[in-house]
Amino acid sequence: MLRVRDLVVRYGAIQAVRGIGLDIAQGEIVALIGANGAGKTTVARAIAGLLPYRGEIAFEGEVLKPNNAERNLHHGISLVPEGRGILGTMTVQDNLLMGLYVRRDKAQAMKDLAALLERFSILAERRHLLASLMSGGEQQMLAIARALLSKPKLLLLDEPSLGLAPKMTDAVFTMIQDLRREGLTVLLVEQKARQTLKIADRAYLVETGRVITSGPAKEMIDDPVVSETFLGGRATAAHP
Amino acid sequence: MLIQQLVNGLTLGAVYTLIALSFSLVMGILGVLNLAIAELFMLGGYFGFAVLMAQLPLPLALIAGMAGAALVAAIVERIGYQPFRAAPVVTPMLSTLGFSIILQNVATNVWGSDPLQLTDEVLSGRFNIGPVSVSAIQLTVLGVTVLLVALLAFLVQRTSIGRALRAVAENRDVARLLGVPAGRITLIAFMLSGALAGAAGVLIGVHYAAITPYIGVEIGLKAIAVMVVGGTTRIWGALIAGPLMGVVEVMTVAYGGSQIRDFVVYGFMILILLLRPQGLLGGGRSDQGQRV
Ligand SMILES: Nc1ncnc2c1ncn2[C@@H]1O[C@H](COP(=O)(O)OP(=O)(O)OP(=O)(O)O)[C@@H](O)[C@H]1O
Ligand SMILES: [Mg+2]
Repeated sequence: MLRVRDLVVRYGAIQAVRGIGLDIAQGEIVALIGANGAGKTTVARAIAGLLPYRGEIAFEGEVLKPNNAERNLHHGISLVPEGRGILGTMTVQDNLLMGLYVRRDKAQAMKDLAALLERFSILAERRHLLASLMSGGEQQMLAIARALLSKPKLLLLDEPSLGLAPKMTDAVFTMIQDLRREGLTVLLVEQKARQTLKIADRAYLVETGRVITSGPAKEMIDDPVVSETFLGGRATAAHP
Repeated sequence: MLIQQLVNGLTLGAVYTLIALSFSLVMGILGVLNLAIAELFMLGGYFGFAVLMAQLPLPLALIAGMAGAALVAAIVERIGYQPFRAAPVVTPMLSTLGFSIILQNVATNVWGSDPLQLTDEVLSGRFNIGPVSVSAIQLTVLGVTVLLVALLAFLVQRTSIGRALRAVAENRDVARLLGVPAGRITLIAFMLSGALAGAAGVLIGVHYAAITPYIGVEIGLKAIAVMVVGGTTRIWGALIAGPLMGVVEVMTVAYGGSQIRDFVVYGFMILILLLRPQGLLGGGRSDQGQRV
């Protein structure tokens, strides 16, 4: 579904991504894990169309133009950015309506919104509240709900668990699994590697802008490279 | 006498409100001071005058002033802003300064530097309410301003384009992720802003029954002070600051003399910058994002 080849992204003199390749098949949850500053966010933003880059990103066989987020959304790629990207000066309702911005089928879109509000009852309750006044967990729910309203085929989630209490994190991860069951394909960018690998099908471990190892998520949990660089060493891996 | 001055001040304030809204619409969304707005205001007045002098009615003159100024604003955006989007904020500001000088120059060449006078009265009649006398033109200025502000508020707060404008104002990247064509929204912001300035130009021209190419510098620029007093991060601050500054100015002229008028208006702006940089209405730092 998504194919990334030789992706290179630079911020001025800094080369943040140095030739990354990855593939995502229809219906998969693919994890992108790595430490602070590894380049995960940069990869996600490039795929979403927020950055200029070199290399190739193709979606459903079509090569995407760099830095063309609006177009990519029409193709079916939606990113929930790091830090959630809530429009804090707007109400919850206006945030959700922004999720419908690209929808042409207005009647069906309003039905989808109603259905979504049933699913996320907390958002229905807080519909008229300024989005900035909601808790972190609620904001994350809002961000995901808003992204879903554009009817994406591929959902990119950049550290959805950032700053959330463990219980909220669990809820978000459960939701990601539910969404996949409903047919959505997910690229999950995370630092919480162990929990992420448990729900992912495959994973890529990124370090300083390169993929250093990749494979089925279940195998990655036991991979010494992963556990050493990431899961807190062998000792932890041996006693999960 | 005092109430009469109040009415006169509110009329001037209405025009300030429109131009200040024009400035802060662009400022709020792009963080850029479009200095050409002062001259869009002036051009709007001339476009309106052209229609009135052809013996056409005032509503048409308003539409012509708004549409003409919006069109020129679109040119300013494409040439004077779009290419410099990634540059430091002073760069587009300087290019709009260049535009404003060119526009003034064009107006002087086309219409001459002497004031253009309206020979026929567009609207006649006065209404006396006790000791206060309000002209039909003053009522028109106030009425049209209220109408335009209401339309703008509806557009910004209730429509899809308005939501997109607010989204771009708060976070351009997030807006793009939601499918908002940020470039087109920017153009729309410039054109809306131009239309407001153009309307203000027609109104002030009709009010004075005359217009000069220098009216932008005399009145248009003062709206920057109004915007600052209202709070540059909150466009609706102009609704308070416009009438306030209009009244302050008229009172100053009435009781202090016209020679100290600009001193008071711009002095007030500097005082606000020193004491309350977020403006009269602006809250704390936390609502930096609350622009539109
Ligand atoms: N806008 C920017 N300008 C300059 N350098 C940047 C910018 N954004 C990121 N970088 C740099 O690029 C590198 C990769 O950053 P990126 O945010 O992609 O990493 P990350 O893996 O998402 O990290 P984190 O886990 O902290 O979110 C880092 O060295 C970072 O300092
Ligand atoms: Mg990141």
